Amino acid sequence: MSIAPIAPPVAPEVSAAATVRQITGAERTAHKPELAGAFGAALADAHAAERTATAAAEQFAKGDPGMGIHEVMIASEKANISVRYATTLKNKALEAYRELMNTQV
Amino acid sequence: MSTMDFFTAMEVSASGLSAERTRMNVAASNLANAQTTQATGGGPYRRRDVVMQSVAVPGVQNTPYAQAVKGVAVSQISQDTAPPRLEYDPGHPQADARGYVAYPNINPVEEMVDMITASRAYEAGITSMTTAVNMAERALGIGR
Repeated sequence: MSIAPIAPPVAPEVSAAATVRQITGAERTAHKPELAGAFGAALADAHAAERTATAAAEQFAKGDPGMGIHEVMIASEKANISVRYATTLKNKALEAYRELMNTQV
Repeated sequence: MSTMDFFTAMEVSASGLSAERTRMNVAASNLANAQTTQATGGGPYRRRDVVMQSVAVPGVQNTPYAQAVKGVAVSQISQDTAPPRLEYDPGHPQADARGYVAYPNINPVEEMVDMITASRAYEAGITSMTTAVNMAERALGIGR
């Protein structure tokens, strides 16, 4: 009678990632602050969403038959969420920066 | 938009809202024209009906579940082929040689039911949209 091992099989990529790797100097200089990059992308998205919302509101005001009330509301809600996402990322980045700056030496 | 997958749910709900709005417009048109004896193209007004079709959602074409998640769109507005209701009214300008006037084949009760269905479906769409927005807001609140 064979008994299956209880420990779950470890996926190869997980075990590979778990091994400690030396970070080269080139890698260190090429490393970009990722939160800032994500914030930039989120800001661009928020900007695009806001422009879409403005365009939708304009079209609605002009009486475009294809633009209904709910389309305008949805576009502005999307813009709202996008802006809040960007703001949240900004707050997180600032928080992390302040945390580091407050390090006691 | 790749950052927010909740937008997919919003897009799907939005397509449903647009479809229900069209259905409401069609029901209103049917009710308003319940006594129209002269429509464009001759004859009485004919009852309209929306035909809905599932469509791809903008923004999810490249995701693995693009085949599973579908929005809805009105593919066409069909005309009811049921024969018109004939009423005897010889004095009517649209009366035929025997004195009968052809009135639209519209049952106001049916249209009211269609309108209520559209209204409830619209509410359901708003609810799913609000839920998606709430989920996104909850996600933004993680760690706060």
